[in-house]
Amino acid sequence: MNTINDTLNIERDPPKWRSFSKPFWDATREKKLIIQYDKEVGKYQFFPRPTSIYTGKKSNLEWHEVSGHGEVYSFTIARRARPPFQGHEPFFIAVVKLPENVNVMGNMVNCSIEQMKIGLKVKPYWAPLSNGTHLLMFEPE
Amino acid sequence: MGMQDTAIVGFAETKIVEQSDRDVWELGAEILEDLLNSTGFEKQEIDGLILSSSMTGAGNCFWSQTTADHLALEVDFCQTVDIGGCSPTGALARAAIAIDAGLCTTVLCLFADTQKAESNQRPRSFQQEWQVPQGLLGPPTSFGFISSRYDHQFGLDLRALGKLAVAQRDSAVLNDLACEKLRKPITVDDYINSRLIADPVRLLDSVMVCDGASGLLITSKKNAARKGLTKIVTPIGYGERTTYRASESMVDVTDTGHRVAGAKAFKQAGLSPKDIASIHPYDDFIIAIMLQFEMLGFCKQGEGAAFIREHEFNHLGDLPLNTGGGQISAGQCGLAGGGTNLVEAVRQLFGEGDKRQVKNTKNALVTGIGGIPYARNWNSSVVMILTPNG
Repeated sequence: MNTINDTLNIERDPPKWRSFSKPFWDATREKKLIIQYDKEVGKYQFFPRPTSIYTGKKSNLEWHEVSGHGEVYSFTIARRARPPFQGHEPFFIAVVKLPENVNVMGNMVNCSIEQMKIGLKVKPYWAPLSNGTHLLMFEPE
Repeated sequence: MGMQDTAIVGFAETKIVEQSDRDVWELGAEILEDLLNSTGFEKQEIDGLILSSSMTGAGNCFWSQTTADHLALEVDFCQTVDIGGCSPTGALARAAIAIDAGLCTTVLCLFADTQKAESNQRPRSFQQEWQVPQGLLGPPTSFGFISSRYDHQFGLDLRALGKLAVAQRDSAVLNDLACEKLRKPITVDDYINSRLIADPVRLLDSVMVCDGASGLLITSKKNAARKGLTKIVTPIGYGERTTYRASESMVDVTDTGHRVAGAKAFKQAGLSPKDIASIHPYDDFIIAIMLQFEMLGFCKQGEGAAFIREHEFNHLGDLPLNTGGGQISAGQCGLAGGGTNLVEAVRQLFGEGDKRQVKNTKNALVTGIGGIPYARNWNSSVVMILTPNG
């Protein structure tokens, strides 16, 4: 089996959130995935935006909790990276399509190169960050 | 339309180097002097300045003003265009519009960046929050996603992509201004065997960031005639699209804004892909060239490899492509890199291609790609069609 780094041991700084993305990060403290939903058109969006990508009305937005189960839409194996990832290659970066029809990026854990493919069913894996929030990753179902 | 009443009267470019020991403004001064010498214009006749984005200029909110100051250009129109790799061609379009609207009469479009020697970028974007924690390298990672998905939907033909890489490299060998490190011929096998950067993106798929500058001098056709300049190039079609499909959350990453920008440019020009004499597409990664063939209608979506197999892309081929080597084989001058293929197209239409001169100079098509968004392909797409003495 080709070895690939699950990136869990890489010390990464917690991201700085913006006023409109703070609810997302707050929810990750309890390992909950919430994404924005436009109640007028009934559609989801990711990453968090300051307004609805559908209607341009920020007041239409609600935060909805979702399962985070999905399937790989695309992926790459990072063979070159910047610090703090440098020296820890190769590792996966996947784009995962959720049933809510949004794409979310994340690293993959517990997944071999042989196993990885577009369409692979995955579930969330929450990696702790130093400020008590968690980073969303994925692992095979 | 008004854009067609304008004339490019001169082009200039510096040697592309791995790392410049000269300041970005000194490169700008070299472009200015070359343009004054080749066109016979006086500095005082330039009353407009439009800059492309620049990683070196990125820390300066007054980039166009301070550049005008250093070059001592007294202008009535001064701005920076910040649509990434689309900025140079976008700058030319804006110059033509400004001249047509009477805001100014003669514009220096200057594309100068010394990203390798001095990068001042500190982007305020989604990246710090949504990509850096996952270890994204930036564009190579995004093109890894695009390429994997393309492979899944249509199949990735490495030999076809390699053919593009080889053709561009052969042209760079003939281009004395291309970065010396890249002026060595390669084979399709070299391309396929080059090391992986972000699967399936390889080293020879990718641009190398370099330093350099290029520029154009644009005026009205009337003014060009008054000055006795008969050798001119005119934009006859232009399309620009930023954040294609912004109102959709799931998009096909193999479908790009060039589809709409290209349709608009072709319609304005009254031409179709089969009429194009040479093509100078933005090339940050080899697959971007194939995607643009598909989006511009040279072939159907997913049939790029077959199209590539059927055509020859060197300067003597039936569809000459990035005849200066493109950015991948001449070097990418940071965010000014979009100027390299644009200036090459103008050079060819002026008939100054020297060892790499194309035979058919009826027209040339130039494109831009700018910015990498979250889990999509790119932020901005531009397409411009140019003709000589239009």
